Amino acid sequence: MKIVVCLKQTPDTEATIKLTADKQGIEEQNIKWVMNPYDEYAVEQALRLKEKHGGETVVVCMGPDRVTEAMRTALAMGMDKGVHLKDDAFAHSDATGTAKALAAAIKPLSPDLILCGRQAIDWDMAQVPAILAELLDMPQVTVVAKMEMGADGKSAVCNRRIEGGEEVVEVKFPAVLTCDKGLNEPRYASLPGIMKAKKKEIKPLGLAESGLSANDVGKASSKVQILEYLPLPERPPGKVFKEQETPDMVKQVVKLLREEAKII
Amino acid sequence: MAEKFVSMRNLKFLLYEMFEAESLTRYPYFQEHSREIFDLVLDTGMRLGKELLFPCFSEMDKKPPEFVNGEVKVHPLVKVIMRECGEGGWIGAQAAYEHGGQQMPNLIMSAFRCIFSAANYSAAVYPFLTTGAAFLILSFGSKELIETYVPKMFAGEWQGTMALTEPQAGSSLTDLTTTAYPTDQGYYKIKGQKIFISAAEHDGGANVVNLLLARIQGAPAGVKGISLFVAPKLRPEGGKLVPNDLQCAGIYHKLGYRGSPITQLALGENNDCRGFLVGQPHQGLKYMFQMMNEARIDVGLGAVAIASAAYYASLQYAQERPQGRKVTSKDPTQPQVPIIEHADIKRMLLFQRAVVEGSLSLIFQCAKWVDLAHVLSGDEKDRYELLLDILTPVAKSYPSEMGILSVSAGLQCLGGYGYCEEFPLEQHWRDARIHPIHEGTTGIQGMDLLGRKVVMKDGRAFMLYLEEAGKTIQEAKGLRELAPFAQALAEALDKLKRVTGHLTGIALKGEIELFLADATLYLEMFGIVAIAWQWLAQAVVAQKALAKNPAEADANFYQGKLFTCRYFFGYELPKIEGLAARLLTGDGLTVAMKQEFFQD
Repeated sequence: MKIVVCLKQTPDTEATIKLTADKQGIEEQNIKWVMNPYDEYAVEQALRLKEKHGGETVVVCMGPDRVTEAMRTALAMGMDKGVHLKDDAFAHSDATGTAKALAAAIKPLSPDLILCGRQAIDWDMAQVPAILAELLDMPQVTVVAKMEMGADGKSAVCNRRIEGGEEVVEVKFPAVLTCDKGLNEPRYASLPGIMKAKKKEIKPLGLAESGLSANDVGKASSKVQILEYLPLPERPPGKVFKEQETPDMVKQVVKLLREEAKII
Repeated sequence: MAEKFVSMRNLKFLLYEMFEAESLTRYPYFQEHSREIFDLVLDTGMRLGKELLFPCFSEMDKKPPEFVNGEVKVHPLVKVIMRECGEGGWIGAQAAYEHGGQQMPNLIMSAFRCIFSAANYSAAVYPFLTTGAAFLILSFGSKELIETYVPKMFAGEWQGTMALTEPQAGSSLTDLTTTAYPTDQGYYKIKGQKIFISAAEHDGGANVVNLLLARIQGAPAGVKGISLFVAPKLRPEGGKLVPNDLQCAGIYHKLGYRGSPITQLALGENNDCRGFLVGQPHQGLKYMFQMMNEARIDVGLGAVAIASAAYYASLQYAQERPQGRKVTSKDPTQPQVPIIEHADIKRMLLFQRAVVEGSLSLIFQCAKWVDLAHVLSGDEKDRYELLLDILTPVAKSYPSEMGILSVSAGLQCLGGYGYCEEFPLEQHWRDARIHPIHEGTTGIQGMDLLGRKVVMKDGRAFMLYLEEAGKTIQEAKGLRELAPFAQALAEALDKLKRVTGHLTGIALKGEIELFLADATLYLEMFGIVAIAWQWLAQAVVAQKALAKNPAEADANFYQGKLFTCRYFFGYELPKIEGLAARLLTGDGLTVAMKQEFFQD
């Protein structure tokens, strides 16, 4: 089977994010970029499926040159090859533009399965996989925490995390699945894997080769307009209770949590 | 608990800006490598460190190995680490392709080991002890020994150890008595006892392969009669693993570094412990010392790593802990300032940074020479081997001794909390204390440096070292801001030469005991000068980088380097004055002191 994993490179969760002076973006210098953590579950799932059922795994990623670092990590984990959507025209695409570009890259590959992370940890929108499924006319199953291949090899039974429980659905391939924490335990890149990754192909795909036009992607096509980024408000200082009897202090804490913080 | 234990920014500064790791890829042995590969290696090391090793740092200390019915039960993480390091190819990373390795430069793997050791020193010991032991078999063992043991060790299935010490033979290996009795079956029967052997028995792996020193029956006395053997816990026999009459008699309860068991071994109590000779008879110590030299540099690396974790824990605390006000502002209605605002706290942080980053620089310098000596031949190879000879005792001892003081300064930053187990500093302080002891005590290193390395080949190694430091001085002289430091280092080296000349003069007169009496102090002085050299070299790189107007975060990093260099030259380098005065006195006080005078 052929499995495509859509990858996004995001700032490391530990990176300190600073806004640019014009508040139109973030300072990219000195940020450590990583593979979107949820995408690691997608890569791992693709590798496990390939190990069990054979086939080919392709990682597809859109972005500037730096995103090849995240792609190499996926290749070092064991993915077979990559397609890099690389063109200035793709910059500032919204979810629809991104999904269009990914669809253009993925369609010629005719995959049986497309795996994505449940969402990217930078924007947290979780829209791209849904739009991608729509564009490719495939069913999608989101937040997959468990996946069993069907006996026919052309379908899967997936457990979705939902409020207060799990929903079990069957899906026919080709399909788009978004992977959640708990689906698997992503492996670490191995040294032989890292060495092999160097020789694996990452095919650049520009706007022209993708068959899209400049109106389909990028800022021009974007239906979402970023007006301004705002930093998170600073956390107010905490309040320390001390040098009183514990029951008295607890009473005060409960009162404040109820009346000021309004969280109980 | 503090989250940061090592600085990737600093590792990359040293690897790429100082030591130009990518330049190694021009040698055929390393030609498959690239910056991209090195970065992926470092990223993976950091992830393993953060996600696997660091979370168990405290727990492995609080739940140390247990000795139960002759077996040692270790923390479950050990099995995971050995598997990850085996499957990931990290144990054999530096080995040649034909031996299942990836020919990774030692320089890069030193950074990898630094990350592991800073995350959790005890846990890092298991895989990398195995690396050292496997390399000893690769270097000197027969094809059969290599095929039997090395793949399993590289796979992380079998633990490797170095079994040298005996109850009566610690620093004095000449007094080893473990005996190997020849048989006509191609193996020897081993009888004896070993102590203080790290990880020689535990349930984190399927087998243990001890690289063991013993004396073949009838061998000459002294170090010239010592041979090297492979003595596994279970020996392969008829397609199975059978017990090799190698009993763990107990484990020691240690001050720190508690996650790794230090065992006592009884060999051949039932006359059935088989040892397999590695290389030629009576060459064991020579073989062992090939590994020992790199093991000693790695001890320095472990010491730096622990001090690094302590530094970042204390730095974070100092940034967050409000206490007191600036001495110029006594108004109690004003909010307190974080303690990092106080000059004395900054001094203690600078001291730590000076020790950590100065030592790491020297260790990476040595690591690169190991790589160059490996790929070069003839005079060039000799040059790097001699430089390694003379700087190995320094790279082992300066970080080990100063690491303790560095961690202690970190602990001090936390005040009373530093002394409590709720914070990691007290564990770092206990963990750090092993390093001046194992793989040759500081006393042994001092004698090795002064009695052997400085005088070997008519002082050739010493001259090469002076040449290397001289190159840095010349470079620094060309930068206006650094010229005074270049001058200070030149004067310090002159003083070191004078002291060395004075001491070797005593040796030439045949007063060997007097010559070596203060060898430890000589090592201390030598170490301070060597670290000053490394700081000047770092300052040259930082000064040049600053001239290119880097972005704010980089500019701050380079300014930090320059301030720490200034700190070292201002606060640490002057310490050699007192040491030189003592060393030039040479009145032999400790030689003359009598045992009876200690009676009271």
